[in-house]
Amino acid sequence: MQLLIKNATIIDPSSPYHHQQRDILVSNGMIERIGEEITAPNATRIDEKDLHVSIGWMDLGAQICDPGLEHREDLESATESAMAGGYTAVACFPNTQPTIHNKSQVKYIIKNTKDGAVDFHPIGAVTEHCNGKDITEMYDMKFSGAVAFSDGKYPITDNGMMLRALQYVKPFGGVIFNHPHDAATAHSGQMHEGMISTSLGLKGIPSLSEELMIYRDLQLVDYTESRLHIHNVSTANGVRLIREAKRKGLQVTASVAVMNLAFQDEALSEFDTNMKVLPPLREKKDAEALVKGLKDGTIDCITSNHTPWNEEAKDVEFLYAEFGAIGLGTTFGLANRILTDQLSLEEIVDKLAVAPRKLLNQDIPTVNIGSVANLTIFQPNEQFTYASDMIRSKSKNTPLLGHELKGKVIGVVNGKYSSFS
Amino acid sequence: MSQRQLSTKHVLGIKYLNVDDIQLIFDTALEFKEVINRPIKKVPSLRDITVANLFFENSTRTRISFELAEKRLSADVVNFSSSSSSVKKGETLLDTVNNILSMKVDMVVMRHPAPGAPLFLSRKIPANIINAGDGTHEHPTQALLDAFSMRQALNDDLGGKNIAIFGDILHSRVAVSNIYCLKKLGANVRLCGPPTLIPKHISKLGVEVSYDVRKTLEWCDVANVLRIQLERQDIKYFPSLREYHQTFGISKALLDSLDSEVVVMHPGPINRGVELTSDAADSEQSIILEQVENGVATRMAILYLLASRRS
Repeated sequence: MQLLIKNATIIDPSSPYHHQQRDILVSNGMIERIGEEITAPNATRIDEKDLHVSIGWMDLGAQICDPGLEHREDLESATESAMAGGYTAVACFPNTQPTIHNKSQVKYIIKNTKDGAVDFHPIGAVTEHCNGKDITEMYDMKFSGAVAFSDGKYPITDNGMMLRALQYVKPFGGVIFNHPHDAATAHSGQMHEGMISTSLGLKGIPSLSEELMIYRDLQLVDYTESRLHIHNVSTANGVRLIREAKRKGLQVTASVAVMNLAFQDEALSEFDTNMKVLPPLREKKDAEALVKGLKDGTIDCITSNHTPWNEEAKDVEFLYAEFGAIGLGTTFGLANRILTDQLSLEEIVDKLAVAPRKLLNQDIPTVNIGSVANLTIFQPNEQFTYASDMIRSKSKNTPLLGHELKGKVIGVVNGKYSSFS
Repeated sequence: MSQRQLSTKHVLGIKYLNVDDIQLIFDTALEFKEVINRPIKKVPSLRDITVANLFFENSTRTRISFELAEKRLSADVVNFSSSSSSVKKGETLLDTVNNILSMKVDMVVMRHPAPGAPLFLSRKIPANIINAGDGTHEHPTQALLDAFSMRQALNDDLGGKNIAIFGDILHSRVAVSNIYCLKKLGANVRLCGPPTLIPKHISKLGVEVSYDVRKTLEWCDVANVLRIQLERQDIKYFPSLREYHQTFGISKALLDSLDSEVVVMHPGPINRGVELTSDAADSEQSIILEQVENGVATRMAILYLLASRRS
């Protein structure tokens, strides 16, 4: 099988063709030729205006709901969503039923997704059932294919547990992802604590809840000399703490959810439950600090924070609605729209494709002759209005319907598998 | 009655009303206050209108006040409360309300524990909705009757007047609506209570915060004392009712020691001896029972004005 991508601008600093406009011929999953005016009569042609090609993108921390919660998402629909969003890899969180907390659950994910254009990399649980108490067999999971460890949407609150987890993964270079959220000070909070939450009569989640957890975790990393990924920072002070920790040389990385770049707490003024997400949408100064953090490298990557929920969990009174929104299909279009004047396309691609793999110590693909084709093909300047027929997830909980997005994904190629819109 | 109309189809919160709406409600309430003091208290204004009172949270006085207002206007009234409801069987709010609307209800008065629930419902069903309290968000009819009562007690409009709200601001739906209403009417608002019961960012709504009851009483023309919402406190916000009363309670002796006479209000039900002593609640300067009377007139005004928009 051959694929010919015509006149595509290559965005890959590791490639000799970086920033060059070329034809790319993919044969049997490998990049056979890169050049000008390539002809291949039997190849499927991708020939659109303003085509760009980068290495395939990778998401960190998506909720894929399979096994056990397939009414929200399953591996097939997660794959469809990821491909529509330009991803060839997803490191998925363990908040399934049963939890991904042992070797067989890790293998279930890998085995059931190996024949597709998206590589799913399980993030194993740190504690059994993500209960925050009993440490899991992380060695076993690691050698079965788990790429990192986390209790996913549940923060590891117990100081001793977090300390032991960081120590335990150290010999094999493991990394712990923690969601920075101190539940005690966020006590039943429904959204960011500020003027908007006060005016809506909703209990707030103070910025302090995130900052306390980040501060604690950084102290523990300093003590253990282990590796931590702060998953989805949302506050200006959180960014500052991470920046200082990186300057000190701690082994810490961080991500931001695209929704926190794009929206602030005013978006909840009309009780839109699809804007009810964790970390909560905060204030303008926070969003500005997050962008600055991306720019200066404090924040390594941008995540979809993909959290599918069935209609019954979202189309209810705000107080009873679950936290989260789907995002795999819209991350690039939203991030590119928000960041277009502030980060170069190369920088955005780095946050979406290179940095996630780096922090997981994975091989980084390249767009070069003789390499395995792991590609995302997109039109970064294409603007469109997001509509419900574009949703590929089983769940429809997105606040973006009717919103303008910038940057259209044409397709992905991952070895011998490919998908085009 | 006036030919002027409200700018909104629903009364979901004070934040959705403009000053003209508020003034129109006051003017209409004044007329209805005169009506309910006549020997024949009933008028036929809502004769073809069916109103459902949906109370998903306990309420006695607000429910009775609405029911009386509806009956004085000759509306057909159906009552629903969560204690006798299918809500406990797992039915959603939307299903419950749709079932009731299938019985051709024109207006819904709803109290619900979830902030924003009336707004959620207004997007789903065609009836006019009056918010009778949604969690700790708004209680617009209470704020309107409070402001109406303040104007009558002070015999003046509220521009430049100093209004203090005492007590459990954090768990109160009355506080936010009161703040919006009083600020729209040009009053100065100061809140007073223990820091654990005052939302951290409340001053961004344009109010002052004090922790000193005496100084606040010395400053204000009206003291609106809120109920300590023990039932909504899932964790302890202060150590004991005894210490609360000692520190933040208002007594007649305290009122008498002030240089000027402060109007005392309370939305009820009063925790006597906690936020307000009996001698203060029952004193000459208390207008608590007038608030109740004005509540019926204000709710009649709102029902009437929403119904007149329908025609």
